Amino acid sequence: MIIGFGFFPVIIFLLCLFLLDSFKLVSPRWLIICIIWGIIAAALSYYGNNAAADLGNLGFEDVTKYVAPVVEELIKGIFIIILVARRRVGFMIDAAIYGFAVGTGFALAENTWYYMHLGHDFHVVLAIVRGFGTAIMHGGTVAIFAIVLIEGVHRSNRIVLGGVIGMLIAIILHSAFNHFIFDPFIQTLLIITLLPLVFYLVFIYTTRHLQNWLEVEFNNEIDMLRMIRKGQFRQSKAGGYLATLKEHFPGETLMDMYCFFSLYLELSIKAKRNLLLKESGLPVITEPDIKDKLLELRLLRKQIGKAGEMALLPLVRMSHRELWELNQL
Amino acid sequence: MKLSKEKLNDALVLTVEGRLDTTQSDAFEKDIIQILDEGEQKIILDCSGLNYISSSGLRIFLIIQKKMMGIGGQFSICSLQPAIMEVFDMSGFSMIFSIHPDLETALKQ
Repeated sequence: MIIGFGFFPVIIFLLCLFLLDSFKLVSPRWLIICIIWGIIAAALSYYGNNAAADLGNLGFEDVTKYVAPVVEELIKGIFIIILVARRRVGFMIDAAIYGFAVGTGFALAENTWYYMHLGHDFHVVLAIVRGFGTAIMHGGTVAIFAIVLIEGVHRSNRIVLGGVIGMLIAIILHSAFNHFIFDPFIQTLLIITLLPLVFYLVFIYTTRHLQNWLEVEFNNEIDMLRMIRKGQFRQSKAGGYLATLKEHFPGETLMDMYCFFSLYLELSIKAKRNLLLKESGLPVITEPDIKDKLLELRLLRKQIGKAGEMALLPLVRMSHRELWELNQL
Repeated sequence: MKLSKEKLNDALVLTVEGRLDTTQSDAFEKDIIQILDEGEQKIILDCSGLNYISSSGLRIFLIIQKKMMGIGGQFSICSLQPAIMEVFDMSGFSMIFSIHPDLETALKQ
């Protein structure tokens, strides 16, 4: 029973977040990997904190207040950075859930350590504070880091800027929690009331944002692909723009740019279809030739080079979201 | 957007006319859910008067499909205008729905 207080709240919280993801952006496989990373991060942090304490000859209180927040948040955050860099995270919702999953793994490992070391001293009050407070805090800080990171990537396409700001916020929140400015029970109460509110707002915002994005992009892409297939593309604004590039690129490259654009549109439409299917709870479709087409797109992208990609920017931005989207196929 | 319903043989035929975009989809969804709650086993969506559909509209088609699959019912779409049919083909949605060229064929199904 007492053990339950230390472990279940964070698992239930994570499960609720996972179920709230209406677009099913989160892959269960990556979610489990995130939890595993959290457990590894807890072990690495244990040694990291001890090494820092030895190195700086610091006491327990200094370590908890200043060293642990930095070491732990940095180690927990590494995996989120990898996920973002590999375009496995597209929106704030999946960022938050993956982030919380890392924190969940971390908290489970940490609470297990406490339980094993304290034995009978792991009493109900400690279990409640650690289970509802510390554990949710661990998930919350990584989730906030992930949210700020992905927003930074979308706004300025700069992973470093988003990462630094997000990490600072996570470290400050973690450190503030460890300072016990308020009574532990009040801190726990604050966390379990404020964090769901933050998540709720993020979920509402992202769902609306995702739906608008789908609405606008899906229809534009359909219109453009339709014109390409009917041979009317040259009459469109986009086609006119592509024609102006004749003066700057050799014919072959221009041909590749046209193929790249048209193939991108086709794949992007299908990726959005899969998102709509996921949202409706229907199985996604995987066409047998998708892998070949994705490979072809990658090769075309390589062939047109950076200059070609830059020239195509007004038509297709291969930014984080566009690349993430293709992972939905 | 205008939605009307008519019972033909064992099927409930829903006729949708006009545009099915973001601004219209909420009202359409509300009407559709009300109809789905009546527990019809066979629904045909006659789209002969539908001249535009966006992702919001497609989302509602998917809601119907999911709901009908859940109760073991039958959902089909008929009389799609060529431009709309193109949307279904290009996006691959034509593989998900049962699409018929006209109402007569859909009723025979």
